[in-house]
Amino acid sequence: MEATLNVKLMARRLASRRVFVFYVLGALTLALLAINLGVGSLSYSLNEIIHVLTHPNEKSQLATIIFKVRLPRTLAAAMGGAYLAASGLLLQVYFRNPIVGPYILGVSSGATLMVSLVMLTPLGFRLTHATPFLTTIAGCLGAYGVTILVVALAAKVRSGATLLIVGLMMGYLCGSATSILTALAEKEKIKGFVLWGMGSFSGFKQVEILILAVFGGSLVLAIYLLSKPLNAFLLGEDYAASMGVNIRRFRLFILAAASSLAGLVTAMAGPVAFIGLAVPHMARLSFGTADNRILVPGACLMGALVVSLCDLIARMWLNPVELPISAITAFFGAPIVIGLLLKKGARFG
Amino acid sequence: MPGPTPPLLALKNLTVGYGQPILTDLNLTLGRGQFVALLGANGSGKTTLLRTIAGRLKPLAGTIKINGQNLKDVKATTLAQTLSVVLTDKPLVPLLRVWEFVALGRYPRTDFLGRLTDHDHEIVEESLREVQAETLAARLVDELSDGERQKVVLARALAQEPELTLLDEPTAHLDLKHRLEIMAILRSLGRRRNLTILAAVHDVESATKFADLAVTLKDGRLLAFGAPEAILSAKAVQNLYDCPAASFDPSLGGLETPPDGLAGRAFVLGGQDKAALIYRFLAKKGYALTTGFFLKTDLDAHVARALGAKVFSWPHPDLKNEDELMALSLKELATCDLLAISEANGPLPELRARLLTEAQSLGLPILRPGPNGDLAPFSLTLERLKNAAAA
Repeated sequence: MEATLNVKLMARRLASRRVFVFYVLGALTLALLAINLGVGSLSYSLNEIIHVLTHPNEKSQLATIIFKVRLPRTLAAAMGGAYLAASGLLLQVYFRNPIVGPYILGVSSGATLMVSLVMLTPLGFRLTHATPFLTTIAGCLGAYGVTILVVALAAKVRSGATLLIVGLMMGYLCGSATSILTALAEKEKIKGFVLWGMGSFSGFKQVEILILAVFGGSLVLAIYLLSKPLNAFLLGEDYAASMGVNIRRFRLFILAAASSLAGLVTAMAGPVAFIGLAVPHMARLSFGTADNRILVPGACLMGALVVSLCDLIARMWLNPVELPISAITAFFGAPIVIGLLLKKGARFG
Repeated sequence: MPGPTPPLLALKNLTVGYGQPILTDLNLTLGRGQFVALLGANGSGKTTLLRTIAGRLKPLAGTIKINGQNLKDVKATTLAQTLSVVLTDKPLVPLLRVWEFVALGRYPRTDFLGRLTDHDHEIVEESLREVQAETLAARLVDELSDGERQKVVLARALAQEPELTLLDEPTAHLDLKHRLEIMAILRSLGRRRNLTILAAVHDVESATKFADLAVTLKDGRLLAFGAPEAILSAKAVQNLYDCPAASFDPSLGGLETPPDGLAGRAFVLGGQDKAALIYRFLAKKGYALTTGFFLKTDLDAHVARALGAKVFSWPHPDLKNEDELMALSLKELATCDLLAISEANGPLPELRARLLTEAQSLGLPILRPGPNGDLAPFSLTLERLKNAAAA
């Protein structure tokens, strides 16, 4: 018996498999980041691009394209993907439900409602001159308005299932208000709004990238540092509590962190469908684990990879027409997830 | 000043419930290394009490002390190092291996990222061995059978290295093999690890057979606390579950429900432990039972009484001689619808022979088992009787 049961050995074997997957995903992500920088409607040689990147102070047309257009977009897509994946992972663990995504609590509906207010009504027209970040600010207000409401409700509602329904209802509420505004809006404004609603990582300003990196990065770090209690949550609230997790405090953290990450990305890029729901599954299956100490960084990496790839396709597939990111994420992602599930025979819930 | 060691768990004037009290004024003290069964009907407050002791529910009144310290002053991590739980819900976590699942039990004893040391690995192995699940270590938790999973869930609770483990219906939905295995494991844990186990158990039989102590709950109160042999009499069990029809035989540890008697009454010639299966068979077919003739210590007598039979045991306290017994049993036979004979060559052979001839002259159907006590001939005869009655 002694020889057959060696937990340390099992742990080591799993760990080496996971390290391997990290390397593969990391290499693929780096490659995609490079391709995203290099590929566009104007093509340049690899040497030219490397020269620009290593001499950031020289002025040239390429330097402008790289630093003002492609680099922000590449970084935004990678970070956006990572944050949505982390947000989805958190909520899937908390609700112990595999079909939950970052938007389940109404974050994107809130953002969409506020953005529709500035894009579709005369209110926005007057404010446009005040700030170039109008839609972003509106999106932020909407996303965080809903987040604060949900977290406040979570302090009162004990049951996760009830909270889920409350979140869904908030989504419907915001959705119907948005529909009313859309029905009343002028036709030409609607197209712009609909396209915003499908997400895009173009046009990110440097300051937005900075906010995304600092605020989002610290949230992800905090989540990683709390992946131990997150693991306890895999067994449900009662078991987590019996192992010493402060349930009240921790569930508020989960909900606040998940909604903040999703809200951050949505305010800047618009709602990006599918990533937050599917990427945690892709990460789980690739790493072959439910251990959140692996999955928090793993899902972030996978999210960065998938969204970078989707953004590349969105930009280049029907060039010069640019497709909305949500169209691509679901179009290519859904079959991949179904395929993975069938192949691995993995069961969820 | 070191006083005597405080008890592991002490409940004092404890009232528990969700807003409304479900159990009031409980007083209970548990020491170390005991397997304690918590018994009571559905809704009697077993789970509520366990949740309160686990610190998930605030007591409505009274105190809970663990190792002499008031539960509300115990830090969450300290409590988790003292007390672990096994709940009724199935923790189905996809893609989690059994050893990883058990290792989650190390939670209150690992660093802030939950990294496992060599010592933790050893404890995980030991916990798996303790529940005889070492071969399951590399399997995925959601691919286990109910019985295997329950062992693993128990191993996780042990990996916390607790002094007290609370279990809510640990054998619900399990097959016979796993039910017995789990109960046997629980029984031995107390002795081997000095672990105290407080388990809500829904079958009295297991409680009597495996637990050191039993606590019974009824009508919002603690009814009794003590050795199962002492507190689980037939009467006590009927009262505990409000179930006067059930008869519990403490010496057999078995529960029986008397037949409804709709099919009539059967006279069974039993004795020498041969008729128990015949009683059950006829009871299932709806026959009320009369039986004789054997010592009242015969196994048949226990089973027959549990099934509510009229038992003519011999010697009989109210009868002076065998003639009186003969007269009484012939009178009884006249009220019966059939005579069944076990293969026994029991005591009082003349009486048996006389009863058989009487039954023949009354035209009663006579049922005899086949070789080795096979009851198939019973089924055939009863079937024939039913068809004849229908025609």
